Amino acid sequence: MAAIGETSAQLALRDPDVRLMIGVRDDDPSAFEELVEAYQQRLVGVMHHLIGNAEEAEDLAQEVFLRVYRARKKYRARCKFSTWLFTIANNLALNALRRRQRKPVVPLNVRDSGPLGPRPAEQLVRDRAAQPVQHVQQRELAVIVQHALAGLNERQRMAVVLNKFEDMSYEEIAEVMQLSTKAVKSLLSRARTNLRDVLAPYIYMDGQVPPAPTDDE
Amino acid sequence: MSELAPLDDNERAELVAYLDGEVNEKTARNLEARLNRDPAARAEAETLRKAWELLDYLPRPEPSANFTSRTVERISALRPAQAAGSRWRWWAGISGWAAALLLCGVAGYAAVNRFYPREPNCDDMARDLRVVENLHAYEAADDIEFLHLLDHPDEFGEDSLGS
Repeated sequence: MAAIGETSAQLALRDPDVRLMIGVRDDDPSAFEELVEAYQQRLVGVMHHLIGNAEEAEDLAQEVFLRVYRARKKYRARCKFSTWLFTIANNLALNALRRRQRKPVVPLNVRDSGPLGPRPAEQLVRDRAAQPVQHVQQRELAVIVQHALAGLNERQRMAVVLNKFEDMSYEEIAEVMQLSTKAVKSLLSRARTNLRDVLAPYIYMDGQVPPAPTDDE
Repeated sequence: MSELAPLDDNERAELVAYLDGEVNEKTARNLEARLNRDPAARAEAETLRKAWELLDYLPRPEPSANFTSRTVERISALRPAQAAGSRWRWWAGISGWAAALLLCGVAGYAAVNRFYPREPNCDDMARDLRVVENLHAYEAADDIEFLHLLDHPDEFGEDSLGS
Protein backbone atom coordinates (compact mmCIF):
# COMPACT_ATOMS: atom_id res chain seq x y z
CA MET A 1 0.00 0.00 0.00
CA ALA A 2 1.33 3.44 -0.81
CA ALA A 3 2.70 5.28 2.19
CA ILE A 4 0.83 8.36 3.27
CA GLY A 5 1.58 11.16 0.82
CA GLU A 6 3.25 8.81 -1.65
CA THR A 7 2.01 9.51 -5.09
CA SER A 8 1.97 7.29 -8.14
CA ALA A 9 4.82 9.39 -9.49
CA GLN A 10 6.94 8.70 -6.42
CA LEU A 11 6.17 5.00 -6.63
CA ALA A 12 7.09 5.04 -10.32
CA LEU A 13 10.40 6.65 -9.44
CA ARG A 14 11.25 4.00 -6.86
CA ASP A 15 9.78 0.95 -8.59
CA PRO A 16 10.96 0.41 -12.17
CA ASP A 17 8.21 -2.16 -12.68
CA VAL A 18 5.60 0.51 -11.97
CA ARG A 19 7.15 2.54 -14.78
CA LEU A 20 6.96 -0.48 -17.06
CA MET A 21 3.34 -1.08 -16.16
CA ILE A 22 2.50 2.53 -16.91
CA GLY A 23 4.09 1.86 -20.30
CA VAL A 24 1.82 -1.16 -20.75
CA ARG A 25 -1.16 1.02 -19.81
CA ASP A 26 -0.10 3.49 -22.48
CA ASP A 27 0.17 0.65 -25.04
CA ASP A 28 3.95 0.69 -25.31
CA PRO A 29 4.51 -2.65 -27.13
CA SER A 30 7.88 -3.45 -25.59
CA ALA A 31 6.85 -2.70 -21.99
CA PHE A 32 4.59 -5.72 -21.65
CA GLU A 33 7.20 -8.07 -23.05
CA GLU A 34 9.76 -6.69 -20.60
CA LEU A 35 7.40 -7.29 -17.69
CA VAL A 36 6.78 -10.87 -18.77
CA GLU A 37 10.52 -11.48 -19.05
CA ALA A 38 11.11 -9.94 -15.62
CA TYR A 39 8.48 -11.93 -13.75
CA GLN A 40 7.92 -15.19 -15.63
CA GLN A 41 10.35 -17.27 -13.61
CA ARG A 42 9.07 -16.02 -10.27
CA LEU A 43 5.44 -16.46 -11.25
CA VAL A 44 5.90 -19.93 -12.72
CA GLY A 45 7.92 -20.91 -9.63
CA VAL A 46 5.27 -19.67 -7.20
CA MET A 47 2.47 -21.34 -9.15
CA HIS A 48 4.40 -24.58 -9.29
CA HIS A 49 4.90 -24.63 -5.52
CA LEU A 50 1.20 -23.96 -5.04
CA ILE A 51 -0.27 -26.22 -7.70
CA GLY A 52 2.40 -28.89 -8.00
CA ASN A 53 1.96 -29.34 -11.76
CA ALA A 54 4.47 -27.68 -14.10
CA GLU A 55 2.14 -27.38 -17.10
CA GLU A 56 -0.73 -25.99 -15.09
CA ALA A 57 1.68 -23.62 -13.34
CA GLU A 58 2.71 -22.16 -16.69
CA ASP A 59 -0.89 -21.82 -17.83
CA LEU A 60 -1.80 -20.01 -14.64
CA ALA A 61 1.25 -17.77 -14.84
CA GLN A 62 0.29 -16.85 -18.38
CA GLU A 63 -3.26 -16.15 -17.27
CA VAL A 64 -1.88 -13.75 -14.64
CA PHE A 65 -0.11 -11.78 -17.36
CA LEU A 66 -3.22 -11.74 -19.52
CA ARG A 67 -5.24 -10.33 -16.65
CA VAL A 68 -2.59 -7.70 -16.09
CA TYR A 69 -2.86 -6.73 -19.75
CA ARG A 70 -6.68 -6.65 -19.76
CA ALA A 71 -6.69 -4.46 -16.64
CA ARG A 72 -3.97 -2.12 -17.93
CA LYS A 73 -6.22 0.87 -18.66
CA LYS A 74 -7.49 0.88 -15.09
CA TYR A 75 -4.03 0.50 -13.56
CA ARG A 76 -3.14 3.03 -10.89
CA ALA A 77 0.14 2.73 -9.01
CA ARG A 78 -1.07 2.46 -5.43
CA CYS A 79 1.43 -0.17 -4.33
CA LYS A 80 4.50 -2.03 -5.57
CA PHE A 81 3.85 -3.66 -8.90
CA SER A 82 4.87 -7.07 -7.55
CA THR A 83 2.26 -6.79 -4.79
CA TRP A 84 -0.45 -6.17 -7.36
CA LEU A 85 0.83 -8.95 -9.61
CA PHE A 86 0.92 -11.52 -6.84
CA THR A 87 -2.52 -10.48 -5.63
CA ILE A 88 -3.83 -11.52 -9.05
CA ALA A 89 -1.70 -14.69 -8.84
CA ASN A 90 -3.09 -15.47 -5.38
CA ASN A 91 -6.69 -15.20 -6.58
CA LEU A 92 -6.05 -17.36 -9.65
CA ALA A 93 -4.15 -19.99 -7.69
CA LEU A 94 -6.83 -20.27 -5.00
CA ASN A 95 -9.53 -20.59 -7.66
CA ALA A 96 -7.53 -23.32 -9.39
CA LEU A 97 -7.00 -25.20 -6.12
CA ARG A 98 -10.69 -25.01 -5.26
CA ARG A 99 -11.65 -26.26 -8.72
CA ARG A 100 -9.22 -29.11 -8.19
CA GLN A 101 -10.91 -30.02 -4.90
CA ARG A 102 -14.11 -30.47 -6.83
CA LYS A 103 -12.30 -32.46 -9.55
CA PRO A 104 -9.29 -34.09 -7.87
CA VAL A 105 -6.16 -34.60 -9.97
CA VAL A 106 -2.73 -35.89 -8.97
CA PRO A 107 -1.25 -32.82 -7.26
CA LEU A 108 2.46 -33.48 -7.69
CA ASN A 109 4.79 -34.44 -10.49
CA VAL A 110 6.57 -37.11 -8.50
CA ARG A 111 9.89 -37.54 -10.25
CA ASP A 112 11.81 -40.73 -10.48
CA SER A 113 14.10 -40.69 -7.46
CA GLY A 114 16.59 -43.20 -8.75
CA PRO A 115 16.76 -46.95 -8.19
CA LEU A 116 14.06 -46.89 -5.55
CA GLY A 117 11.59 -45.14 -7.81
CA PRO A 118 9.09 -42.52 -6.61
CA ARG A 119 8.04 -43.18 -3.06
CA PRO A 120 5.37 -41.39 -1.07
CA ALA A 121 6.47 -39.58 2.04
CA GLU A 122 4.61 -41.98 4.32
CA GLN A 123 6.58 -44.94 3.00
CA LEU A 124 9.79 -43.03 3.55
CA VAL A 125 8.84 -42.28 7.14
CA ARG A 126 8.14 -45.97 7.82
CA ASP A 127 11.49 -46.88 6.35
CA ARG A 128 13.28 -44.41 8.56
CA ALA A 129 14.35 -47.06 11.00
CA ALA A 130 15.81 -49.20 8.22
CA GLN A 131 17.39 -46.35 6.25
CA PRO A 132 19.29 -43.63 8.10
CA VAL A 133 17.99 -40.21 7.15
CA GLN A 134 21.49 -39.02 6.34
CA HIS A 135 21.40 -41.30 3.27
CA VAL A 136 18.19 -39.94 1.83
CA GLN A 137 19.01 -38.71 -1.63
CA GLN A 138 18.52 -35.07 -2.43
CA ARG A 139 15.82 -35.74 -5.00
CA GLU A 140 13.96 -37.95 -2.61
CA LEU A 141 14.11 -35.19 -0.05
CA ALA A 142 12.67 -32.78 -2.62
CA VAL A 143 9.69 -35.12 -2.97
CA ILE A 144 9.31 -35.31 0.78
CA VAL A 145 9.37 -31.54 1.12
CA GLN A 146 6.90 -31.19 -1.76
CA HIS A 147 4.53 -33.55 0.01
CA ALA A 148 4.97 -31.64 3.27
CA LEU A 149 4.14 -28.37 1.50
CA ALA A 150 1.16 -29.97 -0.25
CA GLY A 151 -0.09 -31.07 3.17
CA LEU A 152 -0.65 -27.47 4.22
CA ASN A 153 -3.98 -25.84 3.49
CA GLU A 154 -4.19 -23.38 0.59
CA ARG A 155 -3.71 -20.23 2.60
CA GLN A 156 -0.86 -21.61 4.68
CA ARG A 157 0.85 -22.75 1.51
CA MET A 158 0.43 -19.38 -0.18
CA ALA A 159 1.81 -17.54 2.86
CA VAL A 160 4.80 -19.89 3.04
CA VAL A 161 5.58 -19.56 -0.68
CA LEU A 162 5.32 -15.77 -0.65
CA ASN A 163 7.44 -15.48 2.48
CA LYS A 164 10.07 -18.03 1.51
CA PHE A 165 10.42 -17.59 -2.25
CA GLU A 166 9.26 -14.02 -2.80
CA ASP A 167 10.83 -12.74 0.40
CA MET A 168 7.67 -10.78 1.15
CA SER A 169 7.16 -9.15 4.51
CA TYR A 170 4.12 -9.97 6.62
CA GLU A 171 2.61 -6.66 5.59
CA GLU A 172 3.07 -7.39 1.89
CA ILE A 173 1.68 -10.89 2.28
CA ALA A 174 -1.30 -9.42 4.11
CA GLU A 175 -1.93 -7.09 1.20
CA VAL A 176 -1.63 -9.85 -1.41
CA MET A 177 -3.83 -12.25 0.52
CA GLN A 178 -6.22 -9.53 1.74
CA LEU A 179 -5.71 -10.44 5.38
CA SER A 180 -4.54 -8.57 8.44
CA THR A 181 -0.86 -8.72 9.40
CA LYS A 182 -1.88 -10.50 12.59
CA ALA A 183 -3.69 -13.17 10.55
CA VAL A 184 -0.59 -13.67 8.39
CA LYS A 185 1.55 -14.07 11.51
CA SER A 186 -0.78 -16.74 12.85
CA LEU A 187 -0.98 -18.45 9.45
CA LEU A 188 2.79 -18.64 9.09
CA SER A 189 3.25 -19.87 12.64
CA ARG A 190 0.83 -22.75 12.10
CA ALA A 191 2.29 -23.50 8.68
CA ARG A 192 5.85 -23.63 9.92
CA THR A 193 4.88 -25.74 12.92
CA ASN A 194 3.10 -28.20 10.61
CA LEU A 195 6.10 -28.31 8.28
CA ARG A 196 8.44 -28.85 11.18
CA ASP A 197 6.33 -31.73 12.52
CA VAL A 198 6.25 -33.51 9.12
CA LEU A 199 9.89 -32.87 8.30
CA ALA A 200 11.26 -33.56 11.78
CA PRO A 201 12.93 -36.87 10.74
CA TYR A 202 14.92 -35.07 8.03
CA ILE A 203 15.94 -31.88 9.78
CA TYR A 204 19.38 -33.03 10.82
CA MET A 205 20.27 -34.96 7.72
CA ASP A 206 23.07 -32.50 7.03
CA GLY A 207 25.03 -34.03 9.90
CA GLN A 208 24.57 -31.17 12.33
CA VAL A 209 24.24 -32.38 15.89
CA PRO A 210 20.66 -31.91 17.09
CA PRO A 211 20.12 -30.07 20.38
CA ALA A 212 20.06 -32.23 23.48
CA PRO A 213 16.58 -33.51 24.31
CA THR A 214 14.88 -32.01 27.33
CA ASP A 215 13.30 -34.03 30.14
CA ASP A 216 9.92 -33.44 28.49
CA GLU A 217 10.85 -35.62 25.50
CA MET B 1 15.33 -29.57 33.21
CA SER B 2 13.28 -26.80 31.74
CA GLU B 3 11.77 -24.63 34.43
CA LEU B 4 9.64 -22.80 31.94
CA ALA B 5 6.31 -23.87 30.47
CA PRO B 6 6.38 -24.92 26.82
CA LEU B 7 5.67 -22.20 24.32
CA ASP B 8 1.99 -21.57 23.76
CA ASP B 9 0.54 -20.65 20.35
CA ASN B 10 1.01 -16.92 20.81
CA GLU B 11 4.59 -17.33 21.98
CA ARG B 12 5.33 -19.66 19.10
CA ALA B 13 3.86 -17.13 16.66
CA GLU B 14 6.14 -14.47 18.17
CA LEU B 15 9.08 -16.85 17.84
CA VAL B 16 8.33 -17.50 14.16
CA ALA B 17 7.96 -13.76 13.56
CA TYR B 18 11.29 -13.26 15.34
CA LEU B 19 12.92 -15.81 13.03
CA ASP B 20 11.44 -13.87 10.10
CA GLY B 21 12.70 -10.55 11.42
CA GLU B 22 9.19 -9.26 11.90
CA VAL B 23 9.22 -8.23 15.58
CA ASN B 24 10.13 -4.91 17.13
CA GLU B 25 13.26 -4.41 19.17
CA LYS B 26 11.63 -4.86 22.55
CA THR B 27 9.96 -8.12 21.56
CA ALA B 28 13.21 -9.35 20.03
CA ARG B 29 15.11 -8.68 23.25
CA ASN B 30 12.48 -10.47 25.35
CA LEU B 31 12.61 -13.47 23.04
CA GLU B 32 16.36 -13.59 23.05
CA ALA B 33 16.35 -13.53 26.84
CA ARG B 34 13.88 -16.42 26.84
CA LEU B 35 15.94 -18.39 24.35
CA ASN B 36 19.06 -17.86 26.43
CA ARG B 37 17.54 -19.36 29.55
CA ASP B 38 15.14 -21.97 28.06
CA PRO B 39 16.75 -24.91 26.22
CA ALA B 40 13.35 -26.23 25.06
CA ALA B 41 12.50 -22.90 23.44
CA ARG B 42 15.94 -22.85 21.90
CA ALA B 43 15.44 -26.36 20.50
CA GLU B 44 12.05 -25.37 19.11
CA ALA B 45 13.51 -22.31 17.41
CA GLU B 46 16.24 -24.46 15.91
CA THR B 47 13.86 -27.09 14.52
CA LEU B 48 11.60 -24.42 13.08
CA ARG B 49 14.56 -22.79 11.40
CA LYS B 50 15.93 -26.06 10.01
CA ALA B 51 12.56 -27.19 8.66
CA TRP B 52 12.25 -23.83 6.91
CA GLU B 53 15.64 -24.35 5.30
CA LEU B 54 14.51 -27.70 3.91
CA LEU B 55 12.22 -25.78 1.57
CA ASP B 56 15.40 -24.89 -0.33
CA TYR B 57 15.34 -28.46 -1.62
CA LEU B 58 12.19 -27.75 -3.57
CA PRO B 59 12.77 -27.73 -7.31
CA ARG B 60 12.77 -24.37 -9.08
CA PRO B 61 11.14 -25.02 -12.41
CA GLU B 62 12.16 -22.82 -15.29
CA PRO B 63 9.45 -21.52 -17.58
CA SER B 64 9.53 -22.95 -21.09
CA ALA B 65 11.80 -21.19 -23.57
CA ASN B 66 8.92 -19.73 -25.58
CA PHE B 67 6.83 -18.59 -22.61
CA THR B 68 7.28 -14.89 -23.34
CA SER B 69 6.59 -15.18 -27.06
CA ARG B 70 3.48 -17.31 -26.44
CA THR B 71 2.19 -14.82 -23.91
CA VAL B 72 2.79 -11.85 -26.21
CA GLU B 73 1.04 -13.72 -29.03
CA ARG B 74 -2.03 -14.18 -26.88
CA ILE B 75 -2.06 -10.44 -26.23
CA SER B 76 -1.91 -9.76 -29.97
CA ALA B 77 -4.94 -12.01 -30.43
CA LEU B 78 -6.77 -9.90 -27.84
CA ARG B 79 -6.08 -6.60 -29.59
CA PRO B 80 -8.54 -6.72 -32.57
CA ALA B 81 -11.38 -7.89 -30.28
CA GLN B 82 -10.52 -5.13 -27.85
CA ALA B 83 -10.51 -2.56 -30.71
CA ALA B 84 -13.92 -3.76 -31.94
CA GLY B 85 -15.16 -3.66 -28.41
CA SER B 86 -13.93 -0.10 -28.08
CA ARG B 87 -15.83 0.95 -31.27
CA TRP B 88 -18.97 -0.73 -30.03
CA ARG B 89 -18.63 1.06 -26.74
CA TRP B 90 -18.18 4.38 -28.58
CA TRP B 91 -21.38 3.91 -30.56
CA ALA B 92 -23.22 2.75 -27.46
CA GLY B 93 -22.10 5.91 -25.71
CA ILE B 94 -23.29 8.17 -28.54
CA SER B 95 -26.64 6.37 -28.70
CA GLY B 96 -27.05 6.65 -24.97
CA TRP B 97 -26.49 10.40 -25.10
CA ALA B 98 -28.94 10.79 -28.00
CA ALA B 99 -31.60 8.80 -26.16
CA ALA B 100 -31.07 10.89 -23.03
CA LEU B 101 -31.46 14.13 -25.03
CA LEU B 102 -34.63 12.86 -26.67
CA LEU B 103 -36.07 11.88 -23.33
CA CYS B 104 -35.26 15.30 -21.92
CA GLY B 105 -36.98 16.92 -24.89
CA VAL B 106 -40.15 14.89 -24.47
CA ALA B 107 -40.22 15.47 -20.72
CA GLY B 108 -39.69 19.18 -21.23
CA TYR B 109 -42.51 19.41 -23.79
CA ALA B 110 -44.89 17.58 -21.44
CA ALA B 111 -43.90 19.79 -18.50
CA VAL B 112 -44.43 23.00 -20.49
CA ASN B 113 -47.86 21.86 -21.65
CA ARG B 114 -48.80 20.89 -18.12
CA PHE B 115 -47.79 24.09 -16.39
CA TYR B 116 -48.11 26.56 -19.28
CA PRO B 117 -51.03 25.34 -21.44
CA ARG B 118 -51.31 27.09 -24.79
CA GLU B 119 -54.01 29.65 -25.49
CA PRO B 120 -56.85 28.23 -27.62
CA ASN B 121 -56.63 29.13 -31.30
CA CYS B 122 -59.45 30.11 -33.69
CA ASP B 123 -60.34 26.56 -34.64
CA ASP B 124 -60.62 25.59 -31.00
CA MET B 125 -62.86 28.53 -30.32
CA ALA B 126 -65.06 27.83 -33.34
CA ARG B 127 -65.54 24.24 -32.22
CA ASP B 128 -66.46 25.32 -28.72
CA LEU B 129 -68.81 28.17 -29.82
CA ARG B 130 -71.94 26.00 -29.93
CA VAL B 131 -71.22 24.77 -26.43
CA VAL B 132 -70.79 28.29 -25.18
CA GLU B 133 -74.03 29.51 -26.84
CA ASN B 134 -76.08 26.69 -25.27
CA LEU B 135 -74.30 26.55 -21.97
CA HIS B 136 -77.43 27.69 -20.07
CA ALA B 137 -79.27 24.61 -21.35
CA TYR B 138 -76.45 22.24 -20.65
CA GLU B 139 -76.20 23.42 -17.09
CA ALA B 140 -79.89 22.72 -16.47
CA ALA B 141 -79.90 19.29 -18.11
CA ASP B 142 -78.70 16.12 -16.43
CA ASP B 143 -77.38 14.41 -19.51
CA ILE B 144 -76.85 14.76 -23.24
CA GLU B 145 -79.66 12.35 -24.17
CA PHE B 146 -82.19 14.57 -22.46
CA LEU B 147 -80.86 17.53 -24.40
CA HIS B 148 -81.29 15.63 -27.65
CA LEU B 149 -84.90 14.97 -26.72
CA LEU B 150 -85.47 18.67 -26.11
CA ASP B 151 -84.13 19.37 -29.55
CA HIS B 152 -86.84 17.31 -31.27
CA PRO B 153 -88.93 19.62 -33.51
CA ASP B 154 -91.93 17.23 -33.52
CA GLU B 155 -92.14 17.58 -29.79
CA PHE B 156 -91.28 21.19 -29.25
CA GLY B 157 -91.56 22.81 -32.66
CA GLU B 158 -89.61 25.96 -33.17
CA ASP B 159 -88.91 26.21 -29.47
CA SER B 160 -86.71 23.18 -29.57
CA LEU B 161 -83.28 23.59 -28.14
CA GLY B 162 -81.68 23.74 -31.55
CA SER B 163 -83.62 26.86 -32.57
